[in-house]
Amino acid sequence: MSETDRDADAQADEALISRWLGGDQRAATQIVERHAQALARYAASQGVRDGIEELVQDTFVRAFHAMESFRAESSLRTWLFTILKRLVLDRQRAERRQRNQVELDEGHAVQEFDALDGMVADEAMLRVRQAVARLSPLQREVFTLRVTEGLPYTEIAKVVGSTEGACRVHYHSAMRAVKEFLSDD
Amino acid sequence: MTDCPDGLMRDLLPEYAVGVTGVDDAARVSAHLATCEACRAELALLKQARAGLSLGVPRMDVAAIVSALPAPATASRPLRAAPRWTIGRHVWQFATAAGLVLLVGGGLIWQRDRAAPTALVADTAAVATATEEPVAVTPASAESGISFGGGLSDLSLEDLQALLGQMDSLKTLPSTDPESMTPVIAMNEGGTTP
Ligand SMILES: [Zn+2]
Repeated sequence: MSETDRDADAQADEALISRWLGGDQRAATQIVERHAQALARYAASQGVRDGIEELVQDTFVRAFHAMESFRAESSLRTWLFTILKRLVLDRQRAERRQRNQVELDEGHAVQEFDALDGMVADEAMLRVRQAVARLSPLQREVFTLRVTEGLPYTEIAKVVGSTEGACRVHYHSAMRAVKEFLSDD
Repeated sequence: MTDCPDGLMRDLLPEYAVGVTGVDDAARVSAHLATCEACRAELALLKQARAGLSLGVPRMDVAAIVSALPAPATASRPLRAAPRWTIGRHVWQFATAAGLVLLVGGGLIWQRDRAAPTALVADTAAVATATEEPVAVTPASAESGISFGGGLSDLSLEDLQALLGQMDSLKTLPSTDPESMTPVIAMNEGGTTP
């Protein structure tokens, strides 16, 4: 997406936020329509399997409560991703406490991400999922945001708390690892 | 699978696969794809990955999500960060401020000439009632702490800017943002969504 297109996209979100702040509830529907599914995909990429709907709903509820503080320094979608990410981390921490488990080991995280509960799917798609599941959590997050949403590196950097350059490196390393995994068949 | 040596092109492929590439970039990628097998293979992989990563993701119920959202805040203000409004908004705010000062000040002078010479420090609510003008000032503005004791000529630039700052927080003023003007007024009158 060119800078102009991004500006137009950001301006569309800003206009909707202004309308909502001005009392137009229909603008909220449009905002949710524009971003809900991307948030659901992101939640899934973070290993969330149960309660994705509630998580996405919580994200929007928090965002709308804080909408006046949104400053458009990042895109609305990026801001929503960061809210969702915090909720996921909170939830994982609570679950860990419940299980009395200090830290999730990487193997467990891979299993959580990879599992599809016997869903019937295209073999090639499943192989790619397995390849992505074997990436490091950070590589997986960067790769997923880039591949599923086409998010620019500047925005990915804000979500994962890194730099644009580092995210570019993570993406290309991830792509190389995925290709290697698939060529090992 | 070999990698294309054109790093710029490879960087554009994920956005192209998602369909968020700008028109110019899309044309460049399309032209490149016609001649580059490595990029065609990578694009196919990207599409597969996107589909694979979306597997098992439930369809979001937009209506259900919206029903859980809070109503727009009563203290609604347009976005501050939209740069295209910045200059225009300030000019209009300044004009609005100056206009209100003139209006209220004029009303004061008129009121002072007509009746009570003691009313040097204005109670804005009283001014609105006394002048019977359809001024957008309600009793809520009486709490704003804005005093119109002196004439406009007594105010320095700093005073006017401070006044502007105070007016910014004055909820009863219509927004200068054309998109939110009507709803702001409606909300202040009705207290709920229009
Ligand atoms: Zn190429």
